[in-house]
Amino acid sequence: MARTAWRLTQGELLEWLEHLLREGRRIVAPVEEDGLRLFRAVHAATQVCLAPGKTRWSPKEFLFPRTETLFTYSADGGEVRLADAVGPETEQVLFGVRPCDAAGLCRLDAVFHGETADGLYARRRELTTVASLACDEAEPECFCTAVGGSPAGVDGSDLQLVAVGEGWIVRPLTRKGEALTASLRGRAPVPAPEDWAQAEERARRVAERIRQRPIAREWAAVLEASFGLPLWEALGRRCLGCSICTYVCPSCSCFDVQDSGNAWCGERCRSWDSCTFALFTRHASGHDPRPTQAARYRQRVLHKFAYFPLANDGQTMCVGCGRCVALCPVGMNVHESVQRVAAAARESVDARG
Amino acid sequence: MLAGDGRRNPFLPHLVRIAAARDETHDVRTLRLTFLDPGAARAFEWEAGQFGEFSVFGAGESVFTLANAPTRAGYIECTFRAIGKVTAAIRGLSVGQVLGFRGPYGNHFPVAEWRGRDLLFVGGGIGMAALRAPLQSVLDNRQDFGKVVVLNGARSVADLVYRDEMKDWEQTDRVRVVRAVDPGGETPDWDGEVGLIPSVFERLQLKPDSRVVIVCGPPVMLHYMFRSLERMGYAPEQVVTTLENKMKCGLGLCGRCNIGRVFVCRDGPVFTWAEMQTLPKDF
Repeated sequence: MARTAWRLTQGELLEWLEHLLREGRRIVAPVEEDGLRLFRAVHAATQVCLAPGKTRWSPKEFLFPRTETLFTYSADGGEVRLADAVGPETEQVLFGVRPCDAAGLCRLDAVFHGETADGLYARRRELTTVASLACDEAEPECFCTAVGGSPAGVDGSDLQLVAVGEGWIVRPLTRKGEALTASLRGRAPVPAPEDWAQAEERARRVAERIRQRPIAREWAAVLEASFGLPLWEALGRRCLGCSICTYVCPSCSCFDVQDSGNAWCGERCRSWDSCTFALFTRHASGHDPRPTQAARYRQRVLHKFAYFPLANDGQTMCVGCGRCVALCPVGMNVHESVQRVAAAARESVDARG
Repeated sequence: MLAGDGRRNPFLPHLVRIAAARDETHDVRTLRLTFLDPGAARAFEWEAGQFGEFSVFGAGESVFTLANAPTRAGYIECTFRAIGKVTAAIRGLSVGQVLGFRGPYGNHFPVAEWRGRDLLFVGGGIGMAALRAPLQSVLDNRQDFGKVVVLNGARSVADLVYRDEMKDWEQTDRVRVVRAVDPGGETPDWDGEVGLIPSVFERLQLKPDSRVVIVCGPPVMLHYMFRSLERMGYAPEQVVTTLENKMKCGLGLCGRCNIGRVFVCRDGPVFTWAEMQTLPKDF
């Protein structure tokens, strides 16, 4: 059956959300909280903020939590007992996810659904439906179009919301998306041709406003060869190693595993970690394969734009949301770094003939 | 069991009990461990060169190589140096106490490909632990392989591991064991070699021919070993090593052991010198 789409007014959209909440689904959507826009589980449709702009954090923590229990242990008189982590049971809807962030979830899939399936992640993913929200404005840091994305991109989306006039087009894209919009079937009208035309025109205009030079897929090999360039030292010197870039990144997926507890009871957890932290690769012996901040910055950039793409059909481990650019305390810009390194690496190749 | 399709929580360890403990040096200990669950013990299979995550509940996990060969099954062994938080906690445990273990992870030494060839094992310090399993595999099928030389070196006489076992090794047919300590690390009664491992190796004047060199040690030793091997005319394809980057998951997920396109835990830890030459200098 061909998938169709529905045209909703703002009021009907809220009614639909209320209906989904009443059905017992957990809905995670952008809300305004203490002056920040953040993804939160909502209890009323009116909390949801679908205004232009992006949330401070991507919604990745709802699939890959900042900290999660892997198992708990208890020891009593020499007997050790382990209890498996209790996975989530409730279906969740990530609602109002920007296309860059939805694409970021696909990057997490590539890591956690890879050769070694991670049951903890897989269970959350199964229970999650992603409702993306096409962008109606570009922010200064946005560069999705430079890495193959689009303000109306549908990678990672089960359905997409597009603002038209005073209302919305709701467009299911997968079976999960159809299930979520089942209550609209036969009740909401389908969008008129001029609604689609308006949506397309909007997407085109937003994309035009993102004037960041493309990062071509073919650069991955050139960037990989840039490892020894002195430019990395100059670029990485400013990095403080604070790792805010990693924490706000929709696709960064490195983690640490630590125990929390004592000899009698406790848990083993995993939590977000970053390759830009000084302790990330330091051995207990003191040896560190990446002993300088410049080496750590290079690792972050090359993993995203060379190593990962070369192993994953050219796809970058960056979706161009630009949060790392907007929030870096010393103004480092990953898009600009890649442009400069690629140019220098090509020059160096040319010079060697 | 978490995912509906049967995918398990890969972080949930087996429970293993310390059956025996032996101090190799003042800070290096070898543990023999047996699975508490007889089913897990029967199902457990591994190859020489693979590793595991060993843990003390409340302290955390550490990566050690599986130090015994599959030819000596029924238990697993690890040799570790007490140097950090987790290893100190493991050293604090006594025989009969319980650890967590998950594995085996990673690739392994291509022992079957070494049949009929002369072998040289070169271990520096605790690096020797990674060579014990492939060496045992060779010793337990002695007739399948050519002449064997083991060069076991350490900073000082007190730091030399497997002192007791070396006696057994050299009593095996066509096995020569060379003990070496760094200059200044010798004692008055020391009758082994004195010198840095690469220099001792060069003094042995072992011709490359079809010999396979299996080497493991600290990064600085590897660096100079490769230079010595080059000077002696060895080809990068006939030298194999095992890398030990910091690892947390062992599954190719956590990102910590990433070097260029490879993850040491998933694509390694065993790499030939030729393969290492294709990696960025990030180890």
